[in-house]
Amino acid sequence: MSRTWLKWMPAVAVPAVIVAGVLAVPLQAGAAVDLPDKTPQEVLELAAGSTVDTLSGTLEQTSELGLPEIPSTGDAATAEFADALDLLTGSHTVRVYQNGPDQSRVQVQDTMSERNLIRNGSDLWLYDSADNTAAHTTLPADTADQAAPGYTPSELAETFLAEVTPSTDVTLGENTQVAGRAAYELVLTPNTDDTLVGSVSIAVDSETGLPLRVQVEARDAAEPAVSVAFTSLSLDAPPADLFAFTPPAGATVTEETLPTKDHAGHPEGEPSGVTVLGTGWDAVVVMPAGADAAALAELTASPLYSQLTDAVDGGRALSTTLMSVLITDDGRIFAGSVPVERLQDAAAQE
Amino acid sequence: MSDRTVSESVSAASPAAAPAETAPPGGAWALLVSELTVLFRRRRTWALLLALAAVPVLIAVAVRLSSQEPTPGRGPPFLDQVTQNGLFVAVTGLIVSIPLFLPLTVGVVAGDTIAGEAGLGTLRYLLAAPAGRVWLLVVKYIGAAVFCLAATLAVVTAGVLAGLAFFPVGPLTLLSGDTISLSESFLRALLIAGYVTVSLLGLSAIGLFFSTLTVVPVGAMAATIVLSVVAQVLDSLPQLDWLHPWLFSHYWLDFADLLRQPIDFTSFGANALLQGGYLLVFGALAYGRFVTKDILS
Repeated sequence: MSRTWLKWMPAVAVPAVIVAGVLAVPLQAGAAVDLPDKTPQEVLELAAGSTVDTLSGTLEQTSELGLPEIPSTGDAATAEFADALDLLTGSHTVRVYQNGPDQSRVQVQDTMSERNLIRNGSDLWLYDSADNTAAHTTLPADTADQAAPGYTPSELAETFLAEVTPSTDVTLGENTQVAGRAAYELVLTPNTDDTLVGSVSIAVDSETGLPLRVQVEARDAAEPAVSVAFTSLSLDAPPADLFAFTPPAGATVTEETLPTKDHAGHPEGEPSGVTVLGTGWDAVVVMPAGADAAALAELTASPLYSQLTDAVDGGRALSTTLMSVLITDDGRIFAGSVPVERLQDAAAQE
Repeated sequence: MSDRTVSESVSAASPAAAPAETAPPGGAWALLVSELTVLFRRRRTWALLLALAAVPVLIAVAVRLSSQEPTPGRGPPFLDQVTQNGLFVAVTGLIVSIPLFLPLTVGVVAGDTIAGEAGLGTLRYLLAAPAGRVWLLVVKYIGAAVFCLAATLAVVTAGVLAGLAFFPVGPLTLLSGDTISLSESFLRALLIAGYVTVSLLGLSAIGLFFSTLTVVPVGAMAATIVLSVVAQVLDSLPQLDWLHPWLFSHYWLDFADLLRQPIDFTSFGANALLQGGYLLVFGALAYGRFVTKDILS
């Protein structure tokens, strides 16, 4: 009898060892990281002084904004709308390469396709393998310094660090480890109750000051609403031929004149007439009626529009865990990291 | 596995056997050779491989004969690329085969391993050979794994040949938009074949375990195939996303990472680790079952 029992031992031991291994790995990653003590101000300066401009790495980007899953099929307008929202839902693996200020490549990996944004000097290529299209833009000479790929934690971190005003408490969290590198964790907490943002954590590389991870937590939410983090990172210069792009044979190539840097579909620069009410975390952006009437009409005609928004007093509102948008019946748009009620108040006062 | 365990399992199989009996290397290798010979002499094996090879050929013929150009975004991925580069026939063939045809054939072969011998009444003759139960289990698994490789290569080879026959073949456009030379394309095709073979190893281990549970081979085959379908259904339910990285079918279609530039081995590694885990767990279960089992047929 005891021999039979012995024979079944491996069948019990192997899963046990695997479970133990799976549990041990995150524990090890979360083990205390020993770094010289710094004040929050010193870490802010470390991040501001970061001079990293060559890197290759893989980013994991997740968004849990409480938006419904967007169907990717449908008519062209729906598909385009869904494409724009795509980066706001679910998770994405993105590879980024950067060499100096004017060479960069961003690859958004989808299951069976890939979107590439390649910058080489003044050439900007956008290639989408799903429909085999390439778009080329020649950048004006004065954009030479804006090379940072729009997806990296650095860019997101800069946005938040620019917000560090008296309305924000800056503290240091536990030291952490991101992509195998020891990092300080800056925690920015808005000290107003009017915003949906609970806190923003930025992991700052202890050696170079490069932001390695940015997590935005919504108020009263356990999981980060938005997270962008390196899963692997090397600071060596990537091979030069990565940035030399020629569209493949058979691809549909279009030449674009407007710099459409942001692939998500938002044109660069704000339309005229946009005003900002308030400052800091609870600021509300107001777009007057008629500023972009054609785009708005197209948007409201989409079947997804009624699916995503709820009817509220005075218009329709899109509310996510981190952000609210109110489109009033007279065509004005209010947006901000605030509850819908605050947008309604702003709309009533305008 | 030490000699001691092997001899123990042998003495468990036939208590009358001499205790000094251990697996002679020559006899053990002979068992492996005979297993592979029997496997690839079976008409059923060749029928399965031919059915798999027919998938990319059918795709190529259909696209060739159709008057309408495939549009991007419709049909299986890469179908629109097929007319521009015949090598994509192999990739499309794999994508079409992975959800059902490959698990089906692997389920048939892996489910048959032990149960087939038991059903035919030949299992006790195999165990009468001095190699032992553990080695027999290993040999049966190696046979199933070799079939996984043969099945994948059947699809890839037929796809490449059909592509060469029906379409122009030239430098290959990768997902990243970069173009690689023909020789590098063949290397990537082999890498993809390796990826898909590794993907099927976990399912083979599950089939081997099911096969030790029964003397009815059809039952083990059906259970293996059903499980592969269930795993894929679970993988498509967003409510179960915590479970997804644990499903053996989770990385099956991620071989597209090998078509990126620079080549991305992350999913290859994650897949290999996952399949290795399934192999260990179900290998241990199959061991526990097989060495404690009373062999009556």
